[in-house]
Amino acid sequence: MIDFVQNTIDGVMIGSSYALLALGFTMILGVMRRLNLSYGPSIMIGAYLGTVVYLQLCASPIMVVAATVAGAVLAGVYVERLCFAPMAPGAAIASMVSSFAIWMQLEQAAILVLPRHTYPFPPLATGAPLAFGPFLVRTDHLIMLTCALAVSTGIQLLLYRSRFGLALRAIINNPVAAHLIGINVRTAIIWAFALASAVGGIAGYLVLATDQQVTPMFGMWATFKGLIAMMIGGLGSIPGAIVGGLVLGIVEAHSQWYFGPQVRDLVAYGLLFACLVLRPGGLLGEAPLRELSAGRRGA
Amino acid sequence: MLDVSDLVTAYGKIEALKGVTLHAEGGRITCLLGPNGAGKTTLMMSIAGILQPLRGSVRLAGTELRGLTPARIVAQGVALVPENRLVFPQMSVRENLLAGAYQRNDKAEISADMERMYARFPRLRERREQLAGTLSGGEQQMLAVARALMSRPRVLLMDEPSLGLAPLVVAEIFRIVSELNRDGTTIFLVEQNAHMALQVAHHFYLMEQGRVTFSGAPGQLAEDEVIQRAYLGARPAD
Repeated sequence: MIDFVQNTIDGVMIGSSYALLALGFTMILGVMRRLNLSYGPSIMIGAYLGTVVYLQLCASPIMVVAATVAGAVLAGVYVERLCFAPMAPGAAIASMVSSFAIWMQLEQAAILVLPRHTYPFPPLATGAPLAFGPFLVRTDHLIMLTCALAVSTGIQLLLYRSRFGLALRAIINNPVAAHLIGINVRTAIIWAFALASAVGGIAGYLVLATDQQVTPMFGMWATFKGLIAMMIGGLGSIPGAIVGGLVLGIVEAHSQWYFGPQVRDLVAYGLLFACLVLRPGGLLGEAPLRELSAGRRGA
Repeated sequence: MLDVSDLVTAYGKIEALKGVTLHAEGGRITCLLGPNGAGKTTLMMSIAGILQPLRGSVRLAGTELRGLTPARIVAQGVALVPENRLVFPQMSVRENLLAGAYQRNDKAEISADMERMYARFPRLRERREQLAGTLSGGEQQMLAVARALMSRPRVLLMDEPSLGLAPLVVAEIFRIVSELNRDGTTIFLVEQNAHMALQVAHHFYLMEQGRVTFSGAPGQLAEDEVIQRAYLGARPAD
């Protein structure tokens, strides 16, 4: 029983970073109705900028965070300009495929600039885990969870309390009508990419600071985790992204404990498969996007 | 007020508008009739800037609108109530109205306008916290009209407001159209329901296969034999 609770705690902690990755993913999918496979690699570029700043300047954690987020935002906007802005309204597949091409480009660029496979990433907090009765919680995990809560609350407030949020939700609801009420949709989309990439950058920083290392493969890892968590939770749903991330984290923690790390990913994909078969819209999918995952043509 | 001249819009190589010229006079209701596929919605979308016309011009009180973004066109004072209403289904009635005033930042005036909308459309007041997607078709149409009015347009474009609504609701919508016009709004209306349109509109155009084929007052429309047969359901004269 103690193992079970401890695994669940660990799962929630790790899951909170998946939730942030899914949050950024779902925002882009919501406004664009297309998949951005380069989402994770943009975050990886940010992380590389973070590690460069760390290695060259022996910078403080604040500067590493700032560099990671700034790099992710720049790379995210670059992907938007290249893979999304020029594509015709009906060409969702073209955007997805070109975002795959840019994924490869970003990965190769990272390898060219920093040719060693693994680079160090500064830890968030060192020291012994905190004990709560029989349970242990790592300090950096606790920071991760707190940041994830703060960021997702901030995004929720932004979406529901601000003019920019109103514009984004209008675009998610109906892009044509958003044009008709006078929203500058193209500009709003650039900001949405920047915001989603910033959220991804924070998530990336939190994960890498716990791992204390970064490789070019982090891009793929982030895209996969974000995508799976988003699809479990429901496309285009903010609460869904949070729930999906936490569920994925908890399931992974348990399967790692009971079956080992090789089986862990197998279980995660199995969970995604079960979700797609039983509830293709995800646990909390928004109605306007349910059609996307159900395999019908989008509006 | 609104002058469209020689407008050509194409989907790929197919021209949906083949040089459309028409005029909506300030303070009046102008109605465009025509069968499905005539290009009526294409014309509305071209005026609103959603579609990019190849040639011709759209002028609002002398200002060229062609080539502007949809957002700029709204800023110039054109609001379109689109075909099928296109309300924001996952947003409340209140948020839909607020979104309609997206380009304005006079907070006090916006809330005053919202009150005016609730006074004109009491059903919307009753349902103001309800998600727009849960409203009936007629209520959604009213919401779409109110949302468009929230931008304080100089010209209100309406694309088939009666589409898919029950006869009683259609009558209600047309009552509102003529009420809005009495209060000074210039309206350019696309309709297939010629009977209802005849009761409110001041001037008519008929569009067929991307061209304007008739222009005249309601009286002339009612006299035209072809229109009689095609749109008003009269039997051909013996």
